[in-house]
Amino acid sequence: MEFTLLWAVLTAVALGWVGLRIWDERLPEDPFDLLIGAALVALVVGRLTAMVSQGVSPITNPGDIIVIRGGVHTGAAAITFLTALLWKTREDRTALDALAPAILLALAGWHAGCLWRDACLGAPSDLPWAWALPGSTVNRHPVEIYAAIGLALGGWLVASLPWRIWLRAGSALVVASGVRLLTETMRPSITGGPTRWYVAGMIAGVILVIAGPRLIRSRSRAPT
Amino acid sequence: MLERLALIVLGMLVVTSCSGEAADTTDIGDLPSIDAAGFEAHLAALERPAVVNVWASWCLPCRSEAPLLAEAHAIHGDRIEFIGVDVEDSQAGAKEFLAEFGLMFDQFFDERRSIPNFYGGFGTPITMFFAPHGELVRIHNGVVDERSLALNIDELIQLSS
Repeated sequence: MEFTLLWAVLTAVALGWVGLRIWDERLPEDPFDLLIGAALVALVVGRLTAMVSQGVSPITNPGDIIVIRGGVHTGAAAITFLTALLWKTREDRTALDALAPAILLALAGWHAGCLWRDACLGAPSDLPWAWALPGSTVNRHPVEIYAAIGLALGGWLVASLPWRIWLRAGSALVVASGVRLLTETMRPSITGGPTRWYVAGMIAGVILVIAGPRLIRSRSRAPT
Repeated sequence: MLERLALIVLGMLVVTSCSGEAADTTDIGDLPSIDAAGFEAHLAALERPAVVNVWASWCLPCRSEAPLLAEAHAIHGDRIEFIGVDVEDSQAGAKEFLAEFGLMFDQFFDERRSIPNFYGGFGTPITMFFAPHGELVRIHNGVVDERSLALNIDELIQLSS
């Protein structure tokens, strides 16, 4: 069962790699290593945060850290991923913009990886393309496929935007959060899902798009 | 960079380790022992669908999914029967586990693991989903994540409505 999760991860990695090949303009050095490194750090921090929020101490239960299926905190993982990328590319202001479309395609791969995990379905639906769990008569939205298509289209859209500091990065954040937010309503959930994090991601993305160039300019003028 | 990240992670670990007080098990009695035949009869008598979680106190992944099951029970406990089956364990270990995670639903003790063997599950943990009167709908071997649990609970609700 756990290996199906690995296949989903490999699908994300493969599509991220394809994205870096398709949209390779102004990429930083070793972009693939950069993305994988940031994703791994984000995974660890997201997992630790999820454990703490569930009341499980990582010190007394260190073995739980590797049980990724037990939960990864979306907000903490996303913030860590972006912080790690920002830190590693701090000398290159266009790096995040250059990486943004490939990141969206990798996310699309993660969602499409539901096909390996038999975990694509969401809320019940009568639409002609809805399908049912094995042995069930209840047809459901293939919600993860919707998300994968939305994110892949978003990657293409973001890649077609003009070059301006943080325009592509901010837009990608809006697309990723927006697609997850829209599809969240079709996902059965115990906790209600990380909806607030998606809203926060969209707001942060809009701020980056609008204020990104000004932030960069003000930092450049600041005395060192 | 790596040194700073290591320091941050270490800091998080230290901060989170400060809540390690042993759980109070005095209010928890011994779990009733049951075998596969008895459990099948128990499920057959249920009017509601059931989520059956097979766990053990020594099982690391069981700890990861326990808070999720407690939350699912708090939300869906009025429509779905939640049942725990502790396998290959000791009563003392079981009590500590239940006290630590506050799993407030019916629990059974299956020392010889006859129940998961009977239904065809393998490994620990296992989560089984039953229609009313004990008809097995699905078995999830391994840690159940939130989406899978929510989807299968929704499936039980849809099937029994």
